[in-house]
Amino acid sequence: MADVQLENIRKSFGRHQVLHGVSLHVASGEFVSLLGASGCGKTTLLRILAGLESVTAGTVTIGGKDVTGLPPEKRDIAMMFQSYALLPHLSVYENVRFPLRMRRIGSREEQDARVRAALETVQLGHLGDRRPRQLSGGQQQRVALARAIVSNPKVLLLDEPLSNLDARLREDMQVELIEIHKRLNLTTLFVTHDQEEALSLSDRVVLLNAGRIEQEGAPGEIYARPRTGFASTFLGSANMIDVDVVEEAGSAMARIAPGILLPLSPGERARGAATVALRQEDIMLSATPPGVAATVRTRVFLGARNRYVLTLGDRSIRVLTPHDTVFPDGETVFLTIPPERVRVVDT
Amino acid sequence: MVRAAPFPLRIAGIVFVVLTGLLLLAPLIVVVGVSVSENQFIAFPPKGFSLRWYQEVLSSSTYLAAGLVSLQIGLLVTVSATLIGGAAAIAIHRRQLPASELIATVFLSPLVLPTIIYAIGMLMFWSAVFGSVSMMTLWISHTVITLPYVVRTTLAVLAESDPFLEEAARTMGAGRLRCLWFVVVPQCLPGLAAGAFFAFNISFDEAVLSLFLRKPGLTTLPVQVYGQLEFSPDPSVAAVSSIMIALTILLMIVIDRMLGLGKFASP
Repeated sequence: MADVQLENIRKSFGRHQVLHGVSLHVASGEFVSLLGASGCGKTTLLRILAGLESVTAGTVTIGGKDVTGLPPEKRDIAMMFQSYALLPHLSVYENVRFPLRMRRIGSREEQDARVRAALETVQLGHLGDRRPRQLSGGQQQRVALARAIVSNPKVLLLDEPLSNLDARLREDMQVELIEIHKRLNLTTLFVTHDQEEALSLSDRVVLLNAGRIEQEGAPGEIYARPRTGFASTFLGSANMIDVDVVEEAGSAMARIAPGILLPLSPGERARGAATVALRQEDIMLSATPPGVAATVRTRVFLGARNRYVLTLGDRSIRVLTPHDTVFPDGETVFLTIPPERVRVVDT
Repeated sequence: MVRAAPFPLRIAGIVFVVLTGLLLLAPLIVVVGVSVSENQFIAFPPKGFSLRWYQEVLSSSTYLAAGLVSLQIGLLVTVSATLIGGAAAIAIHRRQLPASELIATVFLSPLVLPTIIYAIGMLMFWSAVFGSVSMMTLWISHTVITLPYVVRTTLAVLAESDPFLEEAARTMGAGRLRCLWFVVVPQCLPGLAAGAFFAFNISFDEAVLSLFLRKPGLTTLPVQVYGQLEFSPDPSVAAVSSIMIALTILLMIVIDRMLGLGKFASP
């Protein structure tokens, strides 16, 4: 176990700069998610940490040791790949033993004990003799996880390891990852484009955008207080609406259109043109006033919830409601939002 | 849903398949038929049944000597073509060399180069530079024409392998060399085995190069068969050919059982 320090990492592929000076510290035993859309540089950052990619500038430190120039095999890390990268010519058992063999860890008996323990951890103790291609996707996934933890690496790197699983298996694996992390307390970096995954798994979420850290913080905090427009739309896919923040009768209001006002929390002051972020799940709909009038354009039934697309003036707004809130298309509905949930963000 | 092909097309398809099978198999049937003939002369259908031509072949020092030469060269070529072709395929697959495409083309070019031109060229080149031809000459020239097969079969399995395996192995503590030995080479094995099979078969079967580069004491089996057919044709050539067919089928079954050749059937 060790902490990780990335200092002012820059990376260019030819003329194309992917990382513009990223600095990040991951404490020993911490679970950090690198969250961002594809092409934001999150996977490149992980690969730099693994030693699979060189840096254009900056330093990488693992456990106080500068590893910037070291090849991957000399860094005491383990990485789980999106494709699992199991060796097809080796049995499950030999796949899990591979890092111990390559790193020459322990005697044959010690290796055997560790491989068995790792396979037990992922509940695959009975499948050691199989070949990877004889396993289901979820089982292959767990073999990859066992192989990643068997050598007790200083840092565990996970590159979108859940993205090839179906929804149900994903949930199971998320729980498994949390429990394994609790038990082994490995310093873990997890790359994902799925905000729910990032929020539910990690101690800290680092939101990357176009090769820079947009915002970082504990899941609860980054979700509740996105500081930028990008953070708001990426986390919770909020509705971003251009407004004028004005003062009416002593309190700040966001004016969506002439006559259409949205109350803001008491701390806000008039500041002219701004953007507000309205979370889909924070908006309540009712058939009767009070509230801001809008027209139902489409309803999408999602099982546990309904998603409404509403027309408000010349904009469309998305709203998530409980499954039993049903309005027909074309009906006028009234929106209310608790003032403290309306976030005025930088644009 | 895919609509069934119209009736006339289906008939044409069936005729085509049957014709292809017939034209492939008929010569083999004729050869095997002639080989069990009692007759002194090559004639089909055979008259009577006897294994005397097989006995003749297996007790003929000329045939056995030629067979031994072919076997030696075949085995040498299998080893050299597999090693060189496998290494070339791995290097080409990585695309890290500056002229990957060019190198690939060079390695595959013997496929399109007429063997007879290569044979004449090789004979002239070897005589000018090294003097008289030897088994080495045949070994080298057979290696050159069988390389493309090893390169192609190995590239085919590499193309299907997970590109992240090597990186994964690196993160698990394997350095470059051990990565090559423990990860890349095992990936290539089915392709190398198939390539080795092709290399042996082609070398064993090769007549043009062996004809141009022969000298007394360096006659391969195909050249011997050809000579026999030209100067004193009798059913012994059919018996030799039948033995070669049987050996090839046996080898194919063994390799297929071990690794499966099916995936190399398509280009």
